[in-house]
Amino acid sequence: MLLILDVLTTAAILFVTSIGLLAIFGVLKIINFAHGAWITIGAYCAVVAAKLGLNPWAAAPLAFVVGAALGGLAELFIIRPLYRRPLDAILATWGLGIVIGQLITLGFGRDVQFTPNLLPGAVQLLGVDYSAYRLVALGAALVIGAAFAFTIEGTRLGLSARAVIMNEALARGLGIDTARVRFVTFMIGAGLASLAGVLLTPLASVDPNMGVGWLIGAFMLVMVSNASFLALAAACLVFGAAQVLISAFVSPIFGSIAIAVLAAVTLRISPKGFSRA
Amino acid sequence: MSKRHLIGAAAALVLAVSPARAEDPIVIGVPVGLSGANSVVAPSVVQSAELAVEEINAKGGVLGRQLKLEVADDASGAAGAQKAFDSLIYQKKVDVLISMETSAARNAGLPAVTKGRTPYIYTSFYEGRSCNKNLFVNAWVPEQQVPPVVDAFAKEKGAKTYFLIGSDYAFGRGMLAFTRQYIEKTGGKIVGEEYLPMDGSDWTAIISKLKEAKPDALITSTAGGAPNVTLTKQLRGAGVSLPYANLAVDEGTAKSMGADAEGIYLSASYVTGVDSAENKAFLAAMEKKFGAGLKTPNDLSVPQYEAIYLYKAAVEKAGGTETAKVLEALPTVSFIGPRGTISMNKQHHAPLTMYLGQVQGDGSVKVISAFKDVDPGEQCPKLK
Amino acid sequence: MPEDASAIGLSGSAERGRPRLSRAAPFVVAALAAAALWAAPLVLDAFAVNVLTRSMIYATLAVTVDLLWGFTGILTFGQAAFFGVGAYATAMALSYLGATPEWMAVALALAVVAPAALGLAVGWLSFYHRSTALYASVISLVLPIVVTQLIYSGGEWTGSSSGLVGFEVLPLELEGFFRLSAFALVAATLAAWVFVRSDAGRALVAVRDNDARCAYLGLSPKRLQIALTAALAGVAGLAGFIFANASSVVAPENAGFLFGTELVIWVALGGRGTLLGPVLGTVAIDYLAANLSGDLPFLWQLLLGATFVAVIILLPGGLAEIARRVWSALPIGRSAGFTPRLVARSSRPAADGAGAPLLTIEGLAKSYGSLTVLENIDLEVRAGELVSLVGPNGAGKTTLMRCLSDGTEPFKGAVSIGGVSTAGLTPNRIVALGVGRKFQVASVFESLTVADCLLLARASHDGLSPIGRAETIGLPQAALNVLRMTGLDRMLAEPARLLSHGQKQALELAMVVALEPRLILLDEPTAGLTKAERTTIGAALKALTGELGVAAVLVEHDLDFVREISSRIVVLHQGRLALDGTVEEVVGSELVRTIYSGAAHG
Repeated sequence: MLLILDVLTTAAILFVTSIGLLAIFGVLKIINFAHGAWITIGAYCAVVAAKLGLNPWAAAPLAFVVGAALGGLAELFIIRPLYRRPLDAILATWGLGIVIGQLITLGFGRDVQFTPNLLPGAVQLLGVDYSAYRLVALGAALVIGAAFAFTIEGTRLGLSARAVIMNEALARGLGIDTARVRFVTFMIGAGLASLAGVLLTPLASVDPNMGVGWLIGAFMLVMVSNASFLALAAACLVFGAAQVLISAFVSPIFGSIAIAVLAAVTLRISPKGFSRA
Repeated sequence: MSKRHLIGAAAALVLAVSPARAEDPIVIGVPVGLSGANSVVAPSVVQSAELAVEEINAKGGVLGRQLKLEVADDASGAAGAQKAFDSLIYQKKVDVLISMETSAARNAGLPAVTKGRTPYIYTSFYEGRSCNKNLFVNAWVPEQQVPPVVDAFAKEKGAKTYFLIGSDYAFGRGMLAFTRQYIEKTGGKIVGEEYLPMDGSDWTAIISKLKEAKPDALITSTAGGAPNVTLTKQLRGAGVSLPYANLAVDEGTAKSMGADAEGIYLSASYVTGVDSAENKAFLAAMEKKFGAGLKTPNDLSVPQYEAIYLYKAAVEKAGGTETAKVLEALPTVSFIGPRGTISMNKQHHAPLTMYLGQVQGDGSVKVISAFKDVDPGEQCPKLK
Repeated sequence: MPEDASAIGLSGSAERGRPRLSRAAPFVVAALAAAALWAAPLVLDAFAVNVLTRSMIYATLAVTVDLLWGFTGILTFGQAAFFGVGAYATAMALSYLGATPEWMAVALALAVVAPAALGLAVGWLSFYHRSTALYASVISLVLPIVVTQLIYSGGEWTGSSSGLVGFEVLPLELEGFFRLSAFALVAATLAAWVFVRSDAGRALVAVRDNDARCAYLGLSPKRLQIALTAALAGVAGLAGFIFANASSVVAPENAGFLFGTELVIWVALGGRGTLLGPVLGTVAIDYLAANLSGDLPFLWQLLLGATFVAVIILLPGGLAEIARRVWSALPIGRSAGFTPRLVARSSRPAADGAGAPLLTIEGLAKSYGSLTVLENIDLEVRAGELVSLVGPNGAGKTTLMRCLSDGTEPFKGAVSIGGVSTAGLTPNRIVALGVGRKFQVASVFESLTVADCLLLARASHDGLSPIGRAETIGLPQAALNVLRMTGLDRMLAEPARLLSHGQKQALELAMVVALEPRLILLDEPTAGLTKAERTTIGAALKALTGELGVAAVLVEHDLDFVREISSRIVVLHQGRLALDGTVEEVVGSELVRTIYSGAAHG
């Protein structure tokens, strides 16, 4: 029972931390290696919110707005010149991540920051004591997933985004302002990463390098999902389960590299990863 | 006091009253992790070193020579340490290295220390058994830190079964290996021992295992900073309320963790609450020198302060900064500091008074008991 | 066999001296550099000697990153892992076996062989038919993470997070290690320099530019990438060996992902694809870091990160780009590159056309999901035939060409070339059966010269020298004719990207013809060409099939052109083979008139 809850909540956390990267990769075909930095920005929004005396939950919308705004700037000045050089975009965004990390260090110091817990304690569920916040994270993942699905399926932006994903040249031919679609998508992706940062605060330590650890996992999950939203959910479940089960029955050390290694092998066997399913 | 020592002291007196003829200063190199994992604690280490140097210089220096600090960033890792040690030894030509560093940084610096023939006092607690004729250690090793915790749990809490959690690195592994050995020797039982990679932060599976094992007590030894914080947060989130000793938590971290840290046991050679005249004087001097900018003195910064005094004593005894003589003198001198009487006379390591403390609701640490002059054990049998 | 008498091309006798002079240049520069570095410890202080020793080892690694990334286009973060494996192999061998000369030799061997073997495995994982550049980068990212984790979990055996220290090393002083790493750096840079300037070096750029074209020239880009990965892993391991000895300590971060990204940053700042840029960039930045980062730890990282972003966006060629621009603005900086001469070679005797068909297609069918593109195709083509494949857009012509030239394409039915089934064969192996394919959109190597493109076309027959440049390229007369008719023979030194559309088409055709295929597949070779160019290409094709007995399958829309040159015409309509007959039969048929009178083609 504990194991099932662990798998579900782990998958939820993985999903929350990688959905922003997926949105950007899907539409822009660019890997945002500053994704970790945006997670960090989000977490520091929680720190600032706490300092301002706001309700801890108010940090979530704040982080989304701040992350999206900074994402817009990054898209304009860094991503846009590199559309035709996707490997260079990886490097430039990695560099950007370094810069953001150092700026946060200069502003807030290198120390671990502490934020008020969003929801402390454990609850009784199906006969086991379980961390209340992890259950909230599961709910948050479902909400974000549903909102994301609605945006993709039910809005004009989603329609344009889908058109750009399928065939960018054709989409442009049909009069879709593809540059704007990419701009807005990058803002949303960056905003989602920052939102994930807030949601991580009760589970993770808030420090200038906190995002890097999440980046690799998110990156690998997005790679196997090949820009498909449902595939990402499936990948999070499968690899989240692999991580939990390997940690439980083999060794947590192997568990922690399970996602990276399994994803790499999956891609070797089936280059389209989970999106074929 | 030897005759030579007397002459030295006389010479120092002469030099002290005629500053125009003072020799070049004695340069102390402090390679420390200003950036990287140690950057949280590094500023407090630099502060206590600055205080020691200021105090000594105010009283006429060492053998009439002033002390001078050269601080270099080792980025808390091996590659940075190589650069920092090279810079200090070959460029700044320091007379001694005194510093708190990660084990990787210390090891990376040792070849330069050996080649450059520079004495090196290491002031960080570590996993033990680092042996080099130029290296002295005045902080604790597992043999000194673990027994107070285990003894207290066995006696006060009646604990028989233990669960151990650590980060997969030399310190985590070393600490828990000794802990396991000590618990088994004293009749306890280990029901689980789990590690996560050093940068790991998802303790979910381990916490579930802990809950299933239902031990009497939990002892953890993670890497400092993020892993330690995430583990504590996630333990509390999962509702774990066992007697819990955290071998890697310090007073400052406990304080900022707030409610999550309440009730945690820790074991240290220094807590700010040590009730001695030396500690009170030290704290007052720190407060006076740094005021609002003061970084709370801790188990890593206080040994740094004391090590500078130990070096002073050794140079005075050796009559100069010549490495061979200083190395000969170092194990024979002692200094009474905030942690009590410190002497690195046990195979280049120091017997220390250890304190068992518990974090209170307001984040302060209450000393529960003190263990006098705990021996570091057989650290470097080949060194005398 | 080359016949010098029939040499054509531009290199007159006055130019002959140049190649020899420029070939000596790397050795002269290397000798000067080696001499200067030998003497350097005499004037440098101990600090500089120590720091530069490590910087030069890192620069050796930067050379390997540059070869992989700058030249071959493989963005890798994995060289750090190979370096770490080499360093740890050395440290562990010296710790646990000892440092006698014999064990030192064992350590050296381990330090090279272990990373090279790992490189082979990583190469196999990263490069396969249809693998993407991004996937290789993903693997190179995972590798250091896994290696570091293994080091951490190695306990006392690897020293875990503390690393290994205190092992005995080569009996050298500081200066000795400085000279050793200087020697390694100069040797590695020289070898890389000679290699990238050689004929084989062109192949690296060719793989980066267009690995599909490489495969369709019968070269195996994947094998080249795997071999390069393994070899450079070995070089990285050697650098690790020197590092472990020079610093007498190894730590997990030497193998880590962050170090891997640092290497890429140094190479990018120095100037990828220039060898000297990354070398100088690495040494300069690392030396600067040793001097500055102690004083301003965070600001240094900030500056480096910001500069890196700016260089990637604004100056992809790195600092070397600035130097190059300044240099080429100077009068002495301008020099013509080396260009080989073209010579004719007697063609292989034509395949005996007697009897068996060269190409046999049986029951070929292809569908994408529920959409059927090709169905029930049966076709035989014999030597000397020129079969035109006509039909409206979407009839499946290009798909059919793809099925013929790539056996890994999923389709039903059977294709065989000269009696050999192509099932499961990658394009380069089908080319080895004697098939040449020309694409619809001209597929050449944009950053190589015309001469180099032709050189690579001959590589599967004549091989490529890894150290020097061939003075001549032997081409079959038919390829020479194409070049001469289109005037490309006078543009050998021109980079392919500067050619006109028609010239690129002609160049590609010449490259395919240079392969001396038994069967040539041509996808709209005349699209967008002028009338004169069409006539030229038509004549060349007729000569190929008529005189040399080559079989050709041609996809074409221009019915006049088809009528002029074909020996047979096949009509493909809605995925089926609708007609197969002589020119007169097909051109006069009702079906063709219906198809072509409609707005079927554009």
